[in-house]
Amino acid sequence: MGFFDSLGMKVIFSSDTSEEQYRTYGKGRITMDSCFPVKALAGHIGELLHKDIDILFVPMIYSLPSFLRGHVMDTLCCTRVMMAPENIKAGFLKERDEFKERGIKYVSPFVPFGEPELLPKYLFESLKPAVEDLTYEEVVEAVREGFASLEEFDKSMREKSLEILRWCVKNNRPALLVLARPYHMDPGIGHEIDAELQLYGYPVLWYNYLPIDKWLLDWLGISLDISDVWTSSYSSNTNEIIWGAKFASRFPWITGVIRLSSYECGMDQPTFTPVQRIVESSGTLFFKFGELDETKPAGSVKIRVETIVYYLEKYSQDIIKKKLSRLREVPKELTL
Amino acid sequence: MEAVSFEYKAYKPRPFTKEERPYTTILFGGLTFKHERLITGALENMGYKAKPLPNIERIDLDIGKEYIDVGACCPTTFTAGNLARTLMDIEKKEGREAVRDRYVFVTIGACGPCRFGQYHESYERVLEGLNLRDFRLFLLDLLQLEQSVEGGGLEISMPLTLGLVYAMFMGDLITDMEYATRPYEVKKGQTDQVVKDSVEVLYEKLKKRPIVGKKLGNFLWHIFTDYFVDALKEVKKLWDEIEVDRLQPKAKVKITGEFWLQTHEGDGNYNIKRWLEEQGAEVIPPPVAVWMDYLINMELFKLEDAKPFVKNYYLKKFAISFFAWLYRRTYDKLRKALNNIPNPLPSQRELKELARPYFYYRLTGGEGHMLIGKALYALKHKQAHMICELSPYGCLPNTMSVGAMAKVLADYPELLYAPIEIKGDSEVHAYSRCQMVLTEAKRRAKEEFEQALEKTGLSLEDIRDFEEKHPQLKRATYKVPNYGYAGTSANYVMHVAKLMGRLK
Ligand code: SF4
Ligand code: SF4
Repeated sequence: MGFFDSLGMKVIFSSDTSEEQYRTYGKGRITMDSCFPVKALAGHIGELLHKDIDILFVPMIYSLPSFLRGHVMDTLCCTRVMMAPENIKAGFLKERDEFKERGIKYVSPFVPFGEPELLPKYLFESLKPAVEDLTYEEVVEAVREGFASLEEFDKSMREKSLEILRWCVKNNRPALLVLARPYHMDPGIGHEIDAELQLYGYPVLWYNYLPIDKWLLDWLGISLDISDVWTSSYSSNTNEIIWGAKFASRFPWITGVIRLSSYECGMDQPTFTPVQRIVESSGTLFFKFGELDETKPAGSVKIRVETIVYYLEKYSQDIIKKKLSRLREVPKELTL
Repeated sequence: MEAVSFEYKAYKPRPFTKEERPYTTILFGGLTFKHERLITGALENMGYKAKPLPNIERIDLDIGKEYIDVGACCPTTFTAGNLARTLMDIEKKEGREAVRDRYVFVTIGACGPCRFGQYHESYERVLEGLNLRDFRLFLLDLLQLEQSVEGGGLEISMPLTLGLVYAMFMGDLITDMEYATRPYEVKKGQTDQVVKDSVEVLYEKLKKRPIVGKKLGNFLWHIFTDYFVDALKEVKKLWDEIEVDRLQPKAKVKITGEFWLQTHEGDGNYNIKRWLEEQGAEVIPPPVAVWMDYLINMELFKLEDAKPFVKNYYLKKFAISFFAWLYRRTYDKLRKALNNIPNPLPSQRELKELARPYFYYRLTGGEGHMLIGKALYALKHKQAHMICELSPYGCLPNTMSVGAMAKVLADYPELLYAPIEIKGDSEVHAYSRCQMVLTEAKRRAKEEFEQALEKTGLSLEDIRDFEEKHPQLKRATYKVPNYGYAGTSANYVMHVAKLMGRLK
C-alpha cells in the first residue's frame, strides 16, 4: 500500500479466496493441475476484471523480504508462486485478449525483493506503458516508501506477538503456533482453522510474525541461523517455517504447533519430516492439516480441533514445565 | 511425556578422507549410461574409484514412495528409490560395513527454488529409513569449478571439472549421433553396438587423459588441445561404417521437459524415446550441455539487468561472455569432429526472446523459460515436426510453463505440442496422449517428403541409382543440410537433387 499510495494510485483488492470465486471467475483459466493457492489466483484475476479498475497488477514475486536474509542461502518464492501469473495470464488471452476487451492494462512486473536495488527498474519498466507520465524517480521513492510501511507493519505485528506471548507467560497459559504458507491466512485457503482453535481460548500466533528480539533468542538458545536443521535454505517461506519450528520447540508456552499445507504442495513436501521432528524433539505437540483444497473440510476440521484441544488441555502444563526446565530463568523482558 | 532434548539435527556426513580414496567407490547417477560411463572415466583419470547407480527401474518408484515424504515429484521419487535399492543391494552382497566405509554417494545441488535444490533432503529420508545415517552422501555445487568434500576425499579441481565437462559434451554428442542414426540404420542393432563401442573408446581416452598444468595451465590445455577432437575422429570412423536409408519419411520429435526426465533413458520416462522410434519417429534428444549453457547465460542476463548497480560492469560482462563463447566454441569444435551430425546448441538469447511474451526469463526453477523457447525455436528453425514435453507428475515449475503454452498454441496453431505427464506408473496413458499428436506429425513428415519429390521431379529409383554411384551418401556420418524442411528425408531428397544439379 505504501508503494501505491506514494504513486497516488487507488488500490482495489479482490475479495478473500472462496470456492465460489474460483468457480465463477477462475475455472478453465488454468490449464494444468496445480495446488489450490495457484488455482485461486485465476479466480482473483477473473474477479478483478469485473471491477472498475484501470490497471490489473499481478506481480511475479521472485524473492521475498525475509527477516532471515543474510542467515540463509536465499529467500526465493516457490516457483509456482512466481510463475503462476504467466500461466494464468495465458488462460485470459488464449481465445481473445480479455484485458483489452475490458479496457484494463495488465501489469505483471518481475519483483525480486531479494535484490532491492533492482526493484524500481522492474516496476518502472512494467508500469510505464500503463502510466504514461510516470517517472523513474517516482518509482524509486515509492519503493522506498513501500519498504518503510512494510517494515512498520512487520514491527507492529511482531510487537503484537510479543504482547501475546507475555500474556501467556503472565497467566501461564499455552499458545499455539501456526506453520504454514502466508496465504493460509486467507480464509478460503487456510479454512480458518486457526480461528476455530482460537474460539477455544488458545492464542494463535503465526510463524512469520514471531518476535525476534535478541534477548529472547539468546534465552531460547537460538539465532536466525537454521543450518543446523535445514541445509537447503533457498525458499523464503520454507526457511521461516523451519525457523518457526525451532522457536516453537524451545518456547515453553508454545505447547502445540499447527501445520497447514495445501494439497500437492511441492515446497512443503520435503519439509514434512524435519519440521515435525524439530517440533516434537522437545515434546511440543504437533498437528498437521495436510492436503487443504478449495473445499473446507468442515466436519473433519471440527473433530480434529476438538482432539487438539483435548491434547492441549491434557499436556500443556507438563510441556511448559519440561521446556522451562531446560532454560535459564525467564528473562524480565518477558514478564513485563 | 519424554524429557525435552532439542536434539533434531540435519544430516551431516562423516568426512571422506584422502586416505580412504583408494578403497572407496564414489556412487553417482541421474544421466544416461553414456554420460555416466564417461564421467566414470573422468573420475578414474583423477585417481577415484567410481560407479554409476544402476539404471532406473519401475520398482524404484515404489521403493522411493516407501521412504520419502508423500507428494514428491516423480524424478525425486525415482532417484531416491534408486539410491535405496543400490544401498540395500550393496548391504546384501558386501555387508553393512561396506556401505558405511567403502562407498559414498555424490549428488549435484543447485540453487533450486523447486525440489532440485532439496533432493538430498529426500535422500536423507532414505538413509534414515534404511537405518544408514552413517552412509556418506555429499552435495556438490553445480556452479563451482573448484570445491572439496569434508575430509578432502573428493576434490573438485580444475582438471576434474574440465574432465567432467568434456565427459558431458561427448556424452551429448554420442547421444545425438545415436538418435540421428538409429531410425535409418539398414542393419538393425548396428547403431546400438556402435554407441557402446564409441563410449568405450571415449571412456579410455578420458581415463588416460594427460593432466597438464594445474589451474590456468590446465584450463588452457583444455582449450587448445586436440586430444578430444582426435578421440572423436576415431569414433567417427565407427559411425562411418553404419549404412543408413534416409528415404524413410519419419516424424521428427524434439524432446523437451524437466531436466532429469528429458535426459533419462529408461523406465523413469517409460522409455519414451525408444517408443517414439518404434512408432516411426526420429527423436531429437535434449543435450545436457544446453542446461549448463542456460545457467551461464542467465548469469549474463542478470548482469545486464543490473548494469547500473554493478561495479566493473564491462569487465564482468566480457568475462562471462567470453566464458559463454568458449563453452559453445568447444562444443562446436567437438561437433565438427563428427561432421556436425550432432545438433548445435541453440542460442540462449534467442530462446529468451522467443519465450519473452509468454514466460519471463528471470523466472528460474526447472527449465524456466526454456521450454517455451525451445518449442518456438524448433518451429522457427524447422528443427522438428513435433515437441514432446516430458512433464513430471508433481513438478512445480513445469506445470506453470506448460500452462503458459496455452497462449503460445493460440498464437502458433501450427505447432504440434504434446505435453506428457509422467507419473512413472501410467505408461499406456502417456503413450496414447503422445500418439494422438504423433499421428499428425507423421502425416506432415510424409507430406513434406512427397512435396520434395514432386518439387525436384525425382523418383525414389532416381535417388537410389544416384546413391549407388555415390555410396558416401548412405553413411551415417554424411551431413544432410537443411533445405527448409523439418524432416530428414525431405531434406535428403532436396540435397540429392542439388547434387544432381536439379536445384537452382
Ligand atoms: S508453496 Fe506449495 S501450495 Fe504454495 S504455490 Fe508452491 S506448491 Fe503451491
Ligand atoms: S523441476 Fe520439477 S521434477 Fe524437477 S526437481 Fe524441480 S519440482 Fe521436481
